[in-house]
Amino acid sequence: MRSTPFAGVLFVLAKLRVETLKINGVQKQFPAGLPQTLTELLKQLDINEATVVAEIDGKIIEKQNFAQTQLSNGQVVELIRFAGGG
Amino acid sequence: MVNSGKHVCTDIKTILAQKGLDSSGRSLPEHDGDNKHWLQQMEKTRPGDVERALSEPVGSYSFEKLVALVSPAAEDYLEQMAQLAHQLTIQRFGRTIRLYAPLYLSNYCTNSCRYCGFNREHKFERTRLTIDRALEEAQVIASEGFRDILLVSSEDRGFITIDYLAELAGKLRSRFSSISMEVYQMNSAEYAELFKAGIEGVTLYQETYDRRAYRYYHPAGPKSDYDDRLDAPDRTAAAGMRQIGLGVLLGLTDWRIETLALAEHAHYLIKRYWQSHVSFSFPRLRPAHEVKGSQFRYLLSDKNLVQMITALRLCFADAGLVLSTRECAPLRDRLVKLGITKMSAGSKTNPGGYSGRSGAIEQFEIDDNRSPAQVAAVIKQAGFEPVWKDWDSAFVGV
Amino acid sequence: MDKLIIADRSFNSRLLVGTGKFASCEIMAEAIARSGTEIVTVALRRVDIENENDDMLSAIDRSKYLLLPNTSGARDAQEAVRLSKLARAATGINWVKLEVTPDPYYLLPDPVETLKAAEILVKDNFVVLPYINADPILAKKLEDAGTATVMPLASPIGSNQGLKTRAALEIIIEQANIPVVVDAGLGLPSHAADAMEMGADAVLVNTAIATAADPLAMAEAFRLAVEAGRTAYISGPPATGRKASASSPLTGFLRDE
Repeated sequence: MRSTPFAGVLFVLAKLRVETLKINGVQKQFPAGLPQTLTELLKQLDINEATVVAEIDGKIIEKQNFAQTQLSNGQVVELIRFAGGG
Repeated sequence: MVNSGKHVCTDIKTILAQKGLDSSGRSLPEHDGDNKHWLQQMEKTRPGDVERALSEPVGSYSFEKLVALVSPAAEDYLEQMAQLAHQLTIQRFGRTIRLYAPLYLSNYCTNSCRYCGFNREHKFERTRLTIDRALEEAQVIASEGFRDILLVSSEDRGFITIDYLAELAGKLRSRFSSISMEVYQMNSAEYAELFKAGIEGVTLYQETYDRRAYRYYHPAGPKSDYDDRLDAPDRTAAAGMRQIGLGVLLGLTDWRIETLALAEHAHYLIKRYWQSHVSFSFPRLRPAHEVKGSQFRYLLSDKNLVQMITALRLCFADAGLVLSTRECAPLRDRLVKLGITKMSAGSKTNPGGYSGRSGAIEQFEIDDNRSPAQVAAVIKQAGFEPVWKDWDSAFVGV
Repeated sequence: MDKLIIADRSFNSRLLVGTGKFASCEIMAEAIARSGTEIVTVALRRVDIENENDDMLSAIDRSKYLLLPNTSGARDAQEAVRLSKLARAATGINWVKLEVTPDPYYLLPDPVETLKAAEILVKDNFVVLPYINADPILAKKLEDAGTATVMPLASPIGSNQGLKTRAALEIIIEQANIPVVVDAGLGLPSHAADAMEMGADAVLVNTAIATAADPLAMAEAFRLAVEAGRTAYISGPPATGRKASASSPLTGFLRDE
């Protein structure tokens, strides 16, 4: 049976559905799928949760809510911490 | 934007009590309640202390600096103080003297201040001016050249009402570029209303900051409330008044203490209401109808007056120093060079006195009877320019 | 030395220290300790995802120092407010050094945006310490808006030029009813002492300490200078020489009394 154009389209669409997050201005792809929660994301990035402030789509996430904050495709994430300054 | 004065933590009542300047004897442990503490301090002031005070940045205020400058020891430095005051005043104000005229509206009074000719206990024929009569008086004043007028009244709330003052101010606005008032204490809403009506300055003398003396000299009537009187300048500033005139009636108690209290009051208002301008006046007890001069044992000499004026100038670079016609002509002419920035001339302190139709009693005897034109000529001779009009509300389309 | 009071807290040290430009976190931490400071400023920056080791906060003992986040990088009020809220979420405290600097060359503060941001932040219960040019009117307006201090610059950030804005600083100090912290441009301990002798309530120093050859010694020097300056200020100045006047042209007439 020859492959239908329809199947080809489905294959391409499947490729496009890799999930991404924009983290600190940079698009990052998650071929294995998005981390479920913010806490998991930070673990994946090897970032110490205790010293970081997080903003998702412009909203500040309180530290106590990191573990419960679910991530979804296409969100804009800002991870901010303190640095030296006058 | 109106002064908000949010951040000064201490009110003037507390400041005076804590510094032992109101003879309430509440704060200083060594205080026996009659200001002897500060008089003793000043007796101990040495020439070195005066020199230190004079070497501090000229025009800046500190309590300690003023204590030295009003002390007996500073009397030997009067010429130096005068030179510095003269130079500083010219630097900040230019070679100019502003001129104003008082318009007395009424001598009906519900107070019984012991020093005043209008005391309600005194028997004489009282006068009040209708709005139209007041406008006639104002016309005479304007024809002399004045554009700065001070509305004055005794405690006659029944007739000289807020509405009366608002109406009069409204009618005077076209002819005078600056309208101030020296009348009974009001509340904030009343001051705000009169500010809207065109009155931009309020002169209100505490008369004396000494609570016990205040009680003695103001036995009855609304003015007998010391605290309300003390708070009134705050209310005027909060209502937006641009000019605040302070003063004590010199001769009621020791002038050195009164000067310290007066300065603390001014300093407090300057810090709290940064958009208002503070002036000092120097009403010196003078003979008045039925009030005998010899009753008062704290009368100031000319030397004391000069020391007070120059000391205040050296502590307040930008305060107005105002002189009325209570003082005699020769002294006024000298004081022009000692820090004074504003003077009245040709004043009539009896309601209706300008149009010459009234035989009404004066609040106090005038000792400089020269016409405004004569006073202006003397000011010019002293090397100053007489300024009749300093501002015009037409500039801001009011 | 008398205590410094800002908002509802009192401090023994009148030297605030910034944490930028140090060669390492260790040097920064030791310099802070030598300075005797109790208030330390920090900035907010995006985490470097590629490099985990950029966490300097752990070097600062938060039980000893009050962390004062600044809003450096903000170019307008909106950005400053956003950074302030992020800082509050991070530290749990509501103190913020308000810094709005649209000009990347001199890093001079924007007066209009600073006032706007201050009004918003004060209403949102922040303790606001605004960094401004030495503008006396702006200082009064910020005070009216409810800021906890004003922080006028002595000269541009990092320029080490000292008290170039002296005349205006004098006016601000005279007129302020809230503490005045001279911030930016203090290059030498003598500048800091000078500011304290003028009557400033405190000073903030960063570049001069961080970029000194020996930051630890410099931190110590600033500590001593601030203490000396403050002590001198509250002790009262000595009289400077003045010539007596032989004649009395202005007051001679009084002798006839």
